[in-house]
Amino acid sequence: MITLAASFLMLAGGALGAWALRRAWRSPPENGAGYRALGWAAIIATLVWPAFLLGDTRGPLIALAMVSVAALVVVATGATVRAARAGKSVRAGRVSDSLAPEPLDRPTTRWRSILRWLLAGPIGMIAAMAVGVCYAVWVPGEPQTRLLIGGLIVPVVWGGAMAWTLADNRIIRATAVLVGTALSGFGLAILKGFA
Amino acid sequence: MTATARRKPLLSRVPADFVRAVLKGHSSLGLAFAAIIYLVCLTGSIAVFVHEFQRWESAGAPRLTTVSPEALQRALEAAIARVGGGVEHAYINLPTPDLPQARISVEKDHVQHGWIFDAAGNLVAPGDAPFSEFLTRLHINLHIPGSWGTFIVGLTGVALLSSLISGLLAHPRIFRDAFHLRLGGSRRLQEADLHNRIGIWALPFHVIVSLTGALLGLTTIIVGVLGMALFQGDTAKVYALFIPQAPKEDPRPAPIIDLRPMFPVVDRVAPGGLTDLILLEHPAEMGGAAMFNVQREDTHLSNYDAYAFDRTGKLYHRARSSENNLGERILGSIGKLHFGWFGGGAVKIAYALLGLGLTYLAAGGVTIWLARRRDKRNPAPGLERLWAATVWSQPVALATTTLTTAVALGGISKQALIMIWAVVTLIVLFSALRVEATALSLWLKRAAGVVLIATALIHMLRFAPADPVIWSVDISLFACGGVLLWLTRRAVLRPMPAVSQ
Repeated sequence: MITLAASFLMLAGGALGAWALRRAWRSPPENGAGYRALGWAAIIATLVWPAFLLGDTRGPLIALAMVSVAALVVVATGATVRAARAGKSVRAGRVSDSLAPEPLDRPTTRWRSILRWLLAGPIGMIAAMAVGVCYAVWVPGEPQTRLLIGGLIVPVVWGGAMAWTLADNRIIRATAVLVGTALSGFGLAILKGFA
Repeated sequence: MTATARRKPLLSRVPADFVRAVLKGHSSLGLAFAAIIYLVCLTGSIAVFVHEFQRWESAGAPRLTTVSPEALQRALEAAIARVGGGVEHAYINLPTPDLPQARISVEKDHVQHGWIFDAAGNLVAPGDAPFSEFLTRLHINLHIPGSWGTFIVGLTGVALLSSLISGLLAHPRIFRDAFHLRLGGSRRLQEADLHNRIGIWALPFHVIVSLTGALLGLTTIIVGVLGMALFQGDTAKVYALFIPQAPKEDPRPAPIIDLRPMFPVVDRVAPGGLTDLILLEHPAEMGGAAMFNVQREDTHLSNYDAYAFDRTGKLYHRARSSENNLGERILGSIGKLHFGWFGGGAVKIAYALLGLGLTYLAAGGVTIWLARRRDKRNPAPGLERLWAATVWSQPVALATTTLTTAVALGGISKQALIMIWAVVTLIVLFSALRVEATALSLWLKRAAGVVLIATALIHMLRFAPADPVIWSVDISLFACGGVLLWLTRRAVLRPMPAVSQ
C-alpha cells in the first residue's frame, strides 16, 4: 500500500518536473531559467526521495518508471493536431521539408556490406566477450561480482560496437579496432587467469 | 569560434555528416531487427502480467494464503504417486499475494506434470497454464528449441541497446524537441515525433529492459565463453559460484523426503520470511535434497534467501540476501527488473505501458522508413503491406490464443496454442500478397478487437470468477478490444496513391 501511494506521488513529481521543463523550453531563453530549475529539481527529487522510503535501489528504479510515464503524459497533453498536409512537399518538388536529418546515402559494395554486418555481429560479439572476460580477470573483487559485471559489459560493448560499425564509413578502421580489442582482451585474460 | 556558436547546445554542434552516418546505421539495424524486436517487446509487455494470466487460466482453483507443511507433504506424495515414482525433480510453488495458489510439478524422464492443490493437500486441478507458458516462452525463446531461441532474443536485446545508442547520437535536437508532438500532419513527421518522444522520455526503461534482456538471453554463451577462457571449459564451475551444490548423488531408493521438519528450521533462520518456492532434487532417493526460496520483507530488490537441506533435514547451505555481494545482488535483481516485478501493480502497469511504447518504437521506425520512401517518390507498397501484416498479425494471433484458452480452458495444450498462433500469423502474412496495407491494418485491428472482447465475455460468463484479479484481467481484455475498435472508428478505406497519400 505504501508503494502504491508512493508511486502516485512519484507520478505527480514526474509530471510537475516535465511540465516545468516544457514551460522552460517554450519560453524565451531569458525567461525560462526558473522553470528549468524547478523542472530538474522536481525530477531529481522524485528520483531521490523514494530511496529513503522504498529502498536504496528499488525506490529510484520505481521512480524511473513513474517519471517516464508521467513525462510521456505531459508530452501527450501538449500535442498539436494539424490538418493533413501530406504530399504537399512532394507536389511542390521538395522531397523533404522536415527538419530531421536524412540518413547518409553512402556508396557500398557487397563485400563491404558483408564485412560491416560481420563486424556488427560475430566480430563485435567476440570483441565484447574479450572486454567482459578481461574485466572479470583483472578487476579486483568478489568472483561473482566480477563475473556479473563482466557479463553486463558484454551486451553494452557489443551494442556500442554494433552502432559504431554500422555508422562508420571507415570500415578498415573498425575492423582493426575490433580485432585488436578481441586479441588483446583475451590475451590479457589468459595472461593472468581467473583467481 | 563566435559567441553564437559557443552558446549553441553541445549536441547541436555535432557534425551533420556524423549524424547522417549514425542515422544510416540506426536505420539499417532497425530494419534488420524490427519484426523480432516488435514481437519480443509486445509479448514482453503482456508477460508483465503473467501471474495474473495464470490466475485467469485457473479461474476455478482454490485461492489460498498459506499452506500447512502437512498439506504440502501430502501433495508431494500424491504427485509422485500419480506419475508412478521415478521423479528426478519437483517444484512446489506456495501461495504469494501475486499468485495465491499452491502448485506442484514433478519431472520424470524430462517431462513435467503439474497440479494445483488445495489447503488439505489434495491435487484438485491440472497445474498447467498453457497460455501463460506459451506467452512467456514466445518472449523468452520464440519457441525455438535448444539455446538458439534464447540466443536470438538476447541478440535482439543487443540490437535494441545498439539502436538506443545510435538513436541518441542521431538526435542532436534531443532537448529542443523534447516536448514536440505534432499529430495529424505529414505521416512521417507524426511518426518521427512519436518515435523520438517515446524514445527519449522512456530511455531509462528502454536501457534497463534491453540490457537485462540481452544478459538473460546471452547467459548461455557468456557463461560458455567465461568457462572456456577462465575455467578450462568447465562451465559448471561458473554456475557453482552462484548455485548451491546438491548433496552427493546417491540413487538408492528411499521414502519420499519429509519436508515437514524443515519448516521450523526455516522459520528460525529466516523469521518473518515467506517461502514461495521449494525445489526438490531426487525426492525419492537417498541423495535427495530440498531448497527453500524465502522472500524477506525488506526493501532490497534482491530479497531472496536460499536454504538447502539434505533428506535428513540437515541444513547444509544457507545464502542470506542481506549477506549477498554485489554480483549476487545483481543476479537476484535482473529478472525482477526485466519484468517489472518489484513494486506491485503500479510498476507492472507502468512497465506494460512503457513496454507498449517500446513496441510502438519498433513498429514506428519501419513506418518512418516507409513514409520517407513514399515522400521521395520511391514507395514500396509490397513492403508496406508486409509490414502492416507483420504488425497487426500479432494482436490477432495472440488474441486468438486467449480466446481458444477461454473456450477450451483445461483442454488445450501449449503446443496447440503455438500452432494456432503460427497459423494465424502465416495466414495474415500471406494475405499481404493481395490486400492493401490500409485495409489490412483496419480489418486486423477490428478482428483483434472483436476477438479480445469475445474472450473477455466468454471467460466472464463461463466462470463468473470471484477473484478480483481475474475480473481485472477480463476487463482489461475487454478494454483493449474496445480501444482497438475505437482506433478504427473514423477509418475510411482509400487506396494508397502511387507517391503520397
